[in-house]
Formats: sequence, structure tokens, C-alpha cells
Amino acid sequence: MKKKTLALLLSMGMAVSSLAGCGGGGGSSTDTTAAGGGADATTAAQAGGGESTTAAAAGGESAAAAGEKITLKFTWWGSQSRHDYTQKILDAYTAEHPEITFEAVPAGWDGYFDKLSTEAASGSMPDIVQMDYLYISTYAKNNSLADLQGYMDDGTIDVSGIDEALLNSAKVNGKMAGLVLSTSLMTFPYNPEVLAKASLEAPKEGWTWEDFTAMCQQLKDAGVADAAVIDPAIDTNLFNYWVRQHGDKLFSDDQKSIGYQDDKLMADFIQMFKEAMDKDLVPTPDEMAQIQTLGLEAGPVVTGDGAFTQNWNNYSTLVSAANDKIKMATPPTIGAEDQKGLWMKPGMFLSIAETSPHKKEAAEFINWFLNSETANDIMMAERGTPSSSIARDYLTGSGKMASQQEDMFAYVDLAAKMAGETPAPDPTGMSEVNKAFADACNAAFYEQMSPEEAAASFRKKADEILSRNNG
Amino acid sequence: MTAKTKKHHYKRKDNIAGYLFLSPWIFGFMLMWLVPAAISIYYSFTDFNLLNVPSIIGLSNYKRIFTQDDTFLQALKVTFTYVLFLVPLRLAFALFVAMLLNQEHKGLGLYRTLYYVPSIIGGSIAVSIVWKQLFGNKGVVMSLLELFGIQQKMSLLGNPKTALLVIVIMGVWQFGSSMLIFLSALKQIPYSLYESAMVDGGKPWQIFTKITLPMLTPTIFFNLILQIINGFRVFTESYVITDGGPLDSTLSYVLYLYRRAFTYFDMGYSCALAWVLVAIIAVFTVILFKTQNNWVHYES
Repeated sequence: MKKKTLALLLSMGMAVSSLAGCGGGGGSSTDTTAAGGGADATTAAQAGGGESTTAAAAGGESAAAAGEKITLKFTWWGSQSRHDYTQKILDAYTAEHPEITFEAVPAGWDGYFDKLSTEAASGSMPDIVQMDYLYISTYAKNNSLADLQGYMDDGTIDVSGIDEALLNSAKVNGKMAGLVLSTSLMTFPYNPEVLAKASLEAPKEGWTWEDFTAMCQQLKDAGVADAAVIDPAIDTNLFNYWVRQHGDKLFSDDQKSIGYQDDKLMADFIQMFKEAMDKDLVPTPDEMAQIQTLGLEAGPVVTGDGAFTQNWNNYSTLVSAANDKIKMATPPTIGAEDQKGLWMKPGMFLSIAETSPHKKEAAEFINWFLNSETANDIMMAERGTPSSSIARDYLTGSGKMASQQEDMFAYVDLAAKMAGETPAPDPTGMSEVNKAFADACNAAFYEQMSPEEAAASFRKKADEILSRNNG
Repeated sequence: MTAKTKKHHYKRKDNIAGYLFLSPWIFGFMLMWLVPAAISIYYSFTDFNLLNVPSIIGLSNYKRIFTQDDTFLQALKVTFTYVLFLVPLRLAFALFVAMLLNQEHKGLGLYRTLYYVPSIIGGSIAVSIVWKQLFGNKGVVMSLLELFGIQQKMSLLGNPKTALLVIVIMGVWQFGSSMLIFLSALKQIPYSLYESAMVDGGKPWQIFTKITLPMLTPTIFFNLILQIINGFRVFTESYVITDGGPLDSTLSYVLYLYRRAFTYFDMGYSCALAWVLVAIIAVFTVILFKTQNNWVHYES
């Protein structure tokens, strides 16, 4: 009997131990990478910490001036081509500033913020972090990001070319939590060659959702496999556009609840895409899951199996290596009553970790990354339309731009007529709201709920999440 | 110095050596296990989003789990279904293969190694991705089904009714460790028992149910406990293959608590979820231990 008790205790121990590391064996591969990366960073930060204290003691001089070697850790998400050219930019900076070297930590979007959150929690966040609108307020509110206002005031970072409203999109609780690097506008990219198969012209300015559906039907009849590769449930962006073009807003001003009053708005949105899926014009969630594994550059619109998709206005630049024929149209309108649904979305930010011992050097690099000709020559606006007019003017005047980049810049003017006020930064808990939105939409697409029920269930969940997180 | 104290002295020295040998393990246990586990109990009573300073909120997290969280119920349902199907299937399959491999045959060592391979690689990301390609939309399995005239509107992975099945199959496929344990147990059953059964004219099925199975019950019990605990921990498969979808039909408990912690920055709540799972597994284990007198047959 004693043996049995011991065995019981041991197996209980196993049950507990399995959870201590958040799923020991099961999640080992993800855990190891995170832990490994974290450990590296800690060592680097500690080593660096020693250096900077010495430098500061020597009269506030930056360590760089003292001729010491400094390693800046820089993490970003993106595709392989972004990883490749960013490395070139870093090499170019090291060539100009031999005392600065970089430890690059490129990653895909998937898992990027999972890893960052653990690093932030353990105080080992990389010095320079590519940051998204979705998370900047969460990190800023928890004091993980350094205030860049001082560097902007003393001219270390030249922000003279950035529109003030756009610049302030990084302002959280009075702190400048990041530098806005680029802007994006929602667009409906299309493949003109595929449209030609159905003898269709490019969509006209001000085209409507009815036009869109009709065109998709014609494409389908002409034998195009995927008329419109759009996942309306992937996040709330397209729905936000829909809400705004109906003159409403997605979130209330205090961000504690849903902003629109009538659930019919969402039900109609779901209904429209449900019908499109039933007619095989838009992929079902099941088909979409498989299409997403292909990645951006091998997606149907790029390879010529699809006609339309929904993305941001750096899309044609992103895929230009695989297909340089992709064009971009403004999203469909609702006709005469259409309100200004589009908005200038801060594309991405560069932030500096509060824990970084090299904030000054990091700020100098960010300035160079944003404004310098060398960096922009290599980057070629792949990270989106540059926020700074210095970079924009340089690129426009340089004559080095490919037609995709010219399209991207032109799109800003084209879409300006449809763009309204930039909404406030996403509320805290946004990723959970996105998940609730996807769940509700997919439940309707899988016919487990009616569009009306889905709309009501989204409101209930979103209100709960928003009030819990922003109370 | 008397002989007695000398002996005592040696004993103490031995003890110190023993503890020294154990120390790397004990140290690792404290650092990687005991301390995190203790901290997570503390976090489970706090409002902690990974980046802020945790503030104690009492039992609120636990209250939220049991009164407000539908996803918790869904994750629990998925995990229980998974365990319910996985454990019997995996054990039966492991025993079956172990019986096959328990015969004298040429190249048996090679087979034993081969059958163990899935258990080593089965939990990896790479295999999960292969699985996703096999069973997903336009995947090999769907094409084969179509070839045999079975038309499906959705892929097995895309259908909320069948997606969990694919995950279970993948789990059953990783039967290697149970198989090895069964194999060694089979080898320990005295041959004399089989001999006398054969002399008495026992049929193969009778021999299996009257001798092999009863003799194996301690091993079955051991494997059962191990696999149930393992089953509750399922993570990689549902994280990589389906990411919990479609419609949360493969949302395993651990994936949900991972998501709470690292996607929604809800660490305190996630720790509470973890301890609820510990309690559930503990209850299961105790119940199983209580029942063992009724069916587990120990010799001697």
C-alpha cells in the first residue's frame, strides 16, 4: 500500500511538472527557441549594461564616441526578402559607423509577438523593436518602451517630414512610444491578366460591392479558380472599413464597447460573404487555411489562379519579385451614401526597449533608417509608404522606383478622397476582439449560426473583452 | 573509537556523496520546476499581463474560469474527447504491435526501432506540418478519398466534426513508448504458464484473455496513467496543425492557456487555468488508483 501511495504521488508530480513549463514535452520546440533567445538577450543586455554605465560616468558621452564596440539587437517581422535587404541596410550602417554592429533577429509575423512578450517580461527585449499598431499601447502602458520624445526634440531623430497627426499615433499616455515608419491604406489588389481572361476592365474609381460581386461571378464563369482570395474574418480591418463606410464606428470613444448600434450592419457583412462563398467566389475558411500556408508570394493572385484580394498598399511591392504585374484598386463602396471608410493606418513603428542600455545609439540608427538615402535606396519602400516626406521626396526624385512603388505612392493620392479620420489606436485586448470576430464570422460561414446570431454573439463577447481590458 | 561509531561515520559520508550526486538534479528541479510552479500559484491570484507589476485580486481569476468563460468549457470538452479516444486506441495499438514484435523473427531489432521512430519525431513541428498537408484541403488524403468516390465538401481538417479525429490519429501513431513497455512486460510472463495452457488445449484467444492480459494488468495500469496525463497535455498538434480551429473544435486545454498567456497577455488568468488542469488530472489519477484493486493483478 505504501508503494501505491508513492506511485500516486509521483504520477501527480508528473502531472504538475507537465504544466510548469507551459506544456513541457508538448510545447518543447517553441519553448526552447523562446528560452534560448531570451537567455542570449539577457547576456547581451548585461554585458552592454556594464559598458554604458562606464560611458555615462565618463561625462554623459555616448559609448560610440568613446570608440567602444556596441552591438544593437534589432528584431522585426517580415518575409524572406525583407530579411535579406534589412541585413544589407544593417551592413551598410556598420560600414559607416564601424563601432556599431548588429545582432539581427528576423522573424515571421506568426509567433513574433509571442516571443516578444516573453522577452519583455524577462527584461531582455531587443534594443530596437519593429512594433505594430495592434500592440504598441499594451507595451507602452506597461513601460516596456522608451520615450522617444527627447530624441525628437534634440534632433537625434529628424521628424520634420512626418505629418503631426501621424507622428502622434505613437503617443500613449503622453509618451512617444515609437517612431512611425510607414503608412498603409487598405486596398483591393488585382491581377490584370486574370481579369483579361474574363474580358474585364480594371475596376473603376467608386465601384460598388455589387460591381465587385458581379465581376467575381464573371471571373468564375470564365474558369478562374479563385475569383477573390479574401478572408473577411482574419481580423477586423475589412469589417472596420465596412462599418466606417456606413458612417459608423467600430469602437465607442471610451473603447469599452462596440461603437455601432445596429447589429444588422455586421449581419449584412457576413451575409454578403456567406453568399459569395456559397457561389464559390470567395474561399471557404477551410480552403483559406490551405491558401494561407502558401505564403504571400505564392498566393493565388500572384500565381494567376486568383483575381482579387484584400491587402495594404505595399502589397504590389511585396510580391513584385514573384509577379510585377499586380495593380491596386480602392476597396468597393456602398454607392452614393458612401462615407469616408478608408483610413491612414500607421504601418509599423520602430520602438526602443526601456531596458536598452544604448538608447542614444539606437535613436541615431532609427533616424538614419528613416531618413537616409542609403537606407531608402535599399529599402525601396518595402515597409510601406515612408511616413517622412524626406524619404518620399527622395524616392520620387531618385528615378529609381519601380512601377510598383510609384503605384503605391500614387495610391495614397487616389485613396485620399475616400480616407476619413484616423481612428484611435487599437484598444487593449484587440487580439482577443479579433479572435471573437473570427469565431463569430466562421460560425456563420460553417452554418452553425445565422448571420444575425453571429452578429449578436460578437457584440456580447467584444463588449465583455473591451470592458474587462479598458476598465 | 569503537567500531560502532566508525560505521556510523562511514554512513554519513556515504550520504553526503549521495546528495552530491543528486545535487545537479535537485538544483535543476528547484530552479526549473519548484520555483516556477510556486510562482505560478501566486500569479494565479493576481492580475498580471506579463509586463505590469502583478496586483493581487484574490479568487477572481478562478471565479471567472467557472462562471464566465465559455471557451474554457469548450477547451475542456475537446481535451476530454481527445483523451477518451486517444488513450484506449493508442494502448490497444501499442499492445497489438508489441505482441507482433514479441515473436522470433528475422530482423526484429530493425522493426522495433522503426516502430519507435514515430514516438520520437511525432511531437515535432515538422511532422505536424506534414500532417496538415496530408489531411488539409487539396491534400493527399482528400485526393485519395476522392479517387475512391468519396466526395467531401470540406477537408477532414477543415470540418469541425472530423478535425479532432485527425489529431487523435496522429496521437495514436505515436504509440512507441507504450509499445516498448508492453514488450518488456510480455517477455517477463513465464513461459511455463503458456506451456501448461497449451497442454490443456487452450485456444489462442483464451490464452490471450486468461493469461496474457491478466499478467499485463500492472503494465496496462502504468501505461494508462502515463498516457492519460500525456493526453491532457496535448499542445503541439493543435497549435501547429489547426491552431485550435475550425470553430475551436481542436482547441486543446494547454493551447487555450498558452493563448491566454502569450497572445492575450492574460498571464494571471492563464496560471489559474493551469492549476485547474492540475486539479483535474489529480482527480483522474486518484480515481484510477482507487479502482486498481478491482482489476490490476499483482503477483506475489
